[in-house]
Amino acid sequence: MFSMTAKPIMRSAAWRISMWATLAFACGTMVVFIFLHQFVAGDIQRRTDAWLAGEAGVLSDVAERTPKGILYRRVVGEVAELASREVPHKRGVRSGLNDSVFFLQTAPDTSVGLWVGAGDVNTHLAAVKNSRIVPDTPTSVRITGFDAPFRVVCVRMNNGGQIYLGLSERDQLRVLGNLRLRFVLLWLLIVLIGSAIVFYSTRRVLRHIQEITEAASRIGEADLSSRVPTTRRNDEVSQLAITLNRMLDRIERSVHQLHTITGSLAHDLRSPLTAVRAKLEMSLTAGARDEESESIVSAIEDMDRLTEFLNKSLDVAEAKANALRLNRVAVDLNDLLRVMVELYEPSMSEKGLRVNLCSAGALELSADAALLHRTIANLFDNELKHLPTACTVTICLSSSEDSALLVVEDDGPGFESDVLSQIFERRVKGRNSTGHGLGLAFVEAVVRVHGGTIEASNGSEGGARLTITLPLAVPSTSPLSPTLVHA
Amino acid sequence: MRVLLVEDEVEIQSFLQRSLTEAGYQVEAAGDARTAERMTIESTHDVLVVDLGLPDEDGLSLILRLRQLGLRAPVLILSARRSVDDRVRGLEQGGDDYLTKPFALAELLARLRNLVKRNSSSVAEAARLRVVDLELDLLRREASRSGEILNLTPQEFVLLEYLCRNAGRVVTRSMILDEVWGMRIQPDTNVVDVHIYRLRGKVDTDGRRPLIRTLRGVGYVLNDR
Repeated sequence: MFSMTAKPIMRSAAWRISMWATLAFACGTMVVFIFLHQFVAGDIQRRTDAWLAGEAGVLSDVAERTPKGILYRRVVGEVAELASREVPHKRGVRSGLNDSVFFLQTAPDTSVGLWVGAGDVNTHLAAVKNSRIVPDTPTSVRITGFDAPFRVVCVRMNNGGQIYLGLSERDQLRVLGNLRLRFVLLWLLIVLIGSAIVFYSTRRVLRHIQEITEAASRIGEADLSSRVPTTRRNDEVSQLAITLNRMLDRIERSVHQLHTITGSLAHDLRSPLTAVRAKLEMSLTAGARDEESESIVSAIEDMDRLTEFLNKSLDVAEAKANALRLNRVAVDLNDLLRVMVELYEPSMSEKGLRVNLCSAGALELSADAALLHRTIANLFDNELKHLPTACTVTICLSSSEDSALLVVEDDGPGFESDVLSQIFERRVKGRNSTGHGLGLAFVEAVVRVHGGTIEASNGSEGGARLTITLPLAVPSTSPLSPTLVHA
Repeated sequence: MRVLLVEDEVEIQSFLQRSLTEAGYQVEAAGDARTAERMTIESTHDVLVVDLGLPDEDGLSLILRLRQLGLRAPVLILSARRSVDDRVRGLEQGGDDYLTKPFALAELLARLRNLVKRNSSSVAEAARLRVVDLELDLLRREASRSGEILNLTPQEFVLLEYLCRNAGRVVTRSMILDEVWGMRIQPDTNVVDVHIYRLRGKVDTDGRRPLIRTLRGVGYVLNDR
């Protein structure tokens, strides 16, 4: 029932843990990257702006100082071209002007004074006018015909004209784009590898825990001598295994002690009982007088009752402690019930009770025959002792896929409601009960030790009902429903 | 019949020795495992009665050792422990038997008889059993008394057959449950008594000499005289 293979991987704890760990890891690295990206982008912009401000200052200085004459255009134009060469060209464009930088000087009447750069001067002029650039503050400007925006700085000259120096953000965006692409690829790889590592390592640990669980569930059902598996690693899981094993050691010792105590108690009581019984029997056969033999006989009878009580108490004690040792053989429950009914029917009818057995035929259990016999006899004894005259006991045996269902019900007064919930405890019995209160405790213990269940209830129209299920030896192929075969 | 009795409790040993002698056995008694082993080597016995709680060795291991030494005689185990039942049952399958203390003498004698009978080659089954004027036809499953057919149920016939086979000897309730119903149970109720009572109503009718006698505290006996 704990098998790993039987459970889809998606529902395993290892899967859940690795999913959560992966999610946390992915989110964390993503946040770190966004922060780094912002930092890099900001830094590049700062460098661009510093360069722009510096160059624009130089250019305006040159423009101011150069005398307005025929050489003015050449001097300023060359300085602007020199500045543009500091910036890398677009790959593939060898000739012509650098398209990532432009220089624009306007006259006081906002007509074009001087233009150095690629593309149409008027679109540039329109764009910088539209974006209302504050002087000395670099601003991003989109220009028709260019994919990337330009970072533009404006310097006002003394004659009222303006100098615009623009640097394309293309390279900056390409660097950032590359950075993002590489990060996403690496990030996916790391997240996948990480989640796989987490999944396999958790699964290894959990599988060990599962082995412990499986072993622990086997122990107790079968025997107390086996232990859960341990590993050489000194981690938490192996600590758990070691702790469990220590606990099992203690339990085994206690159970062993119980065996020893009950064993020696039984032994120490039985030997004197045997001796006393022998003496009584001897004096009985030695030809005692009538009045003497009467008391001897009643002493023997008392002694037999005492022995029986002793046996039952020990049985129940052992059964309750799960210390019953089963000697499983194939038992036909149907046969057993039939023989029991034959055995008890005369006593029942003597008391004015009727007994019905309905059964669907042979039902083979793998059970301890002696314990099962005593259990069924206990059920019958119980009915015989507690039912008032003229009642009917109905015993129904049916089967489901893998278990036998035995229902014993009567139309008597039912269980007293105040003891119903604890009817299977030792010494719990109804007010009018004359028994030791051990019968049903024993029945419950034997049923449980065979892997079955038992339930006590009162019928809706009164009457007690015991419902017992016991696992079948071989699950039947078709469930049997009972038919009345004995009345 | 020679019996080796291995029992350390002096009182029980002497009682058993006396009772077995009275029942016609030649009894040798040993108080511990070592003496018992020596005795089995010195002489042969037809049947052994061994208590499991011996002072020097566990009775079961003694039996196993004796078996390895070539002991063929059946062994009746006396056990004061019930938790060894499973091991005892294992031995029982080897043709031996066990009794839990305290036990009724009648039961011990009956089990001893069974063991000896089982061990010696089985006598050809008689088709008829006759006790005084009671006659059982085992093939036709019919019982008659003084020639008059008794109207018995199959269960009652089996019970009467068991009593007849043990005529003159005491049978206890647990022996009846074991032999007739095949169960080793100890009911708190008088189920066996009611069966006997009913049987008696058919066998010992008015005007006839009663055959089925109750020995209170012990069991029942079918008079053979």
